[in-house]
Amino acid sequence: MAEGMFYNVTGGYVEGIVRGYRNQLLTGQNYGNLTQCETIDDVKLQLGPSYGDYLAALPPNPSTSALADKTMDKLVAEFRYLQANATGSLAKFMEYLTYAYMIDNVALLITGTLHERDTRELLERCHPLGWFETMPVLCVATNIEELYNSVLIETPLAAYFKGSLSHQDLDELNIEIIRNTLYKNYLEDFYRFVTEEPGIKGTPTADVMVEVLEFEADRRSINITLNSFGTELSKQDRKKLYPSFGRLHPEGTLMLSRADDAEGVRIAIDGVQDYRTMMDQTGMGGGSGLGNQSGGIGGDEGKSLEDLFYLKEMEISKLAFTYQFTHAVVYAWVKLKEQEIRNITWIAECIAQSQKDRIGNYISVF
Amino acid sequence: MSSGAGREPVFPTRQSLGLMKGKLKGAQVGHDLLKRKSEALTKRFREITKRIDDAKRKMGRVMQIAAFSLAEVTYATGNDGIKYQITESVRTAKFRVRTRQENVSGVFLPQFESWQMEGASEFGMTGLGKGGQQVAKSRETYTRAVETLVELASLQTAFVILDEVIKVVNRRVNAIEHVIIPRTENTIKYINSELDELDREEFFRLKKVKNVKERAAAAEEAERMKKRRTNSDKENEDADSGQTDGASNMLGDEGDEDVIF
Repeated sequence: MAEGMFYNVTGGYVEGIVRGYRNQLLTGQNYGNLTQCETIDDVKLQLGPSYGDYLAALPPNPSTSALADKTMDKLVAEFRYLQANATGSLAKFMEYLTYAYMIDNVALLITGTLHERDTRELLERCHPLGWFETMPVLCVATNIEELYNSVLIETPLAAYFKGSLSHQDLDELNIEIIRNTLYKNYLEDFYRFVTEEPGIKGTPTADVMVEVLEFEADRRSINITLNSFGTELSKQDRKKLYPSFGRLHPEGTLMLSRADDAEGVRIAIDGVQDYRTMMDQTGMGGGSGLGNQSGGIGGDEGKSLEDLFYLKEMEISKLAFTYQFTHAVVYAWVKLKEQEIRNITWIAECIAQSQKDRIGNYISVF
Repeated sequence: MSSGAGREPVFPTRQSLGLMKGKLKGAQVGHDLLKRKSEALTKRFREITKRIDDAKRKMGRVMQIAAFSLAEVTYATGNDGIKYQITESVRTAKFRVRTRQENVSGVFLPQFESWQMEGASEFGMTGLGKGGQQVAKSRETYTRAVETLVELASLQTAFVILDEVIKVVNRRVNAIEHVIIPRTENTIKYINSELDELDREEFFRLKKVKNVKERAAAAEEAERMKKRRTNSDKENEDADSGQTDGASNMLGDEGDEDVIF
């Protein structure tokens, strides 16, 4: 209980703020109102209470991507505020949160450098949460070796590159493999952090984050397996991309690495109740590997596995708020907010393209 | 004659009449042929218009689905960078188009055919971590959309070319029908009338000549008669100067003139 006594000394303010932010998230009723909208302007109006200032600058009938950008701005601003107020292990924890986005950004810059684009233009496309101070430095690099060296020197991601990727790899491997290798290293590092860091070990933070990260690891393993069918990714390479923890590890991941089709995946994850039910729900045991969500205009009732994963992630994030004195609420809040942005984008997209029959495909958490 | 058809500047001779008649015949045959060609083309044109209509409607639907599947990709992957990644990771085109020609009553219409390169797709691993299935699905949807686009493109090209050709052919048909044929007919009529005129003139001239000749002949006759009469009078005076009265006016027609027919 020691964490309960002293948590508020360092993290109490931030936790309070995050809980306040959580209450700002859109509720089921808000979503209900949003789906009734006829134009993007109506959506903007409905979002007024929670996003007011950020949407004010938008022109009438903005594009959905502009809308998404503005909502993302709000998330970023709030996150920055939290980060500024975080101290000690919480500050470190929040840094870890940004690493995931940094990986995406670095992957983007690598792609740009490989194709000899002007990487400065790419900076605008980078995810703002994954922004780090020395990122513009990476743009100076003109060839891949320079880039590799500056990544090693300048970024917090150096540890993930070191040991698993050489600068030749950047040139030769598919960017997706690089990205997923980095992500695997990141997840393992994050996992190690929450289980071993003195300030976090044994606290509710560790409990919640272990669950979250294990889920994330399993999700990636399953997704990579499913998505690699029909590509040139070999089974050995595939195995290297699975994080070495999680509820599926080690037997499940071993079986996943041998799976040839959706049926193989199903057998591999049979040992874990949650995932098995998900597979059953998508009806993926036997045949089509494609998500139902993308079944064209037909309006399939079922959800794809990815939808279910998102749903599960949201559930975990929601439950994280039942804990007190934990950093995990920050993580949960970021994930919930991201989902909210994706929901808004989805609804706006449906309205813009007048595909109202699929508008209900968002995930409402509260 | 009507509509400024006028006639061709020819000398009204029998030779040019023959020429004109040949020309008229040729124009009529050509007119028939062109008319038939125009009809064939128009039939084809209507068919293509109908197919364009269908294809456009279909494209509207397909494009909508495709754009929506892109929205799904954005939803599943959660960021916009995916578009950039995909456009960057493509090196060669998988979906290609080749052309061949189709002959519709002498008009060459280009036809575009789409086909896909064999081999794995370029960005097969995009979205490996998340959203890969949506990316694959979106790719299929867009492939279908582009197929429709190619189909529409060949129809549209055929449409434009046929439109042009039909206009040209129709112009020719109309030109032959309303200008060349009337003009040729006019010319023939003119030549005929000129020739008739010439005939009549000739006849009249001949008649006139004959007339003059006859009159001349009659005058000569009268002269001769007179001469002969004076001769016989002299003989009569010489022979019987006493009975001049009785003999000179036996018929009582000295005063009559000769009647000339």
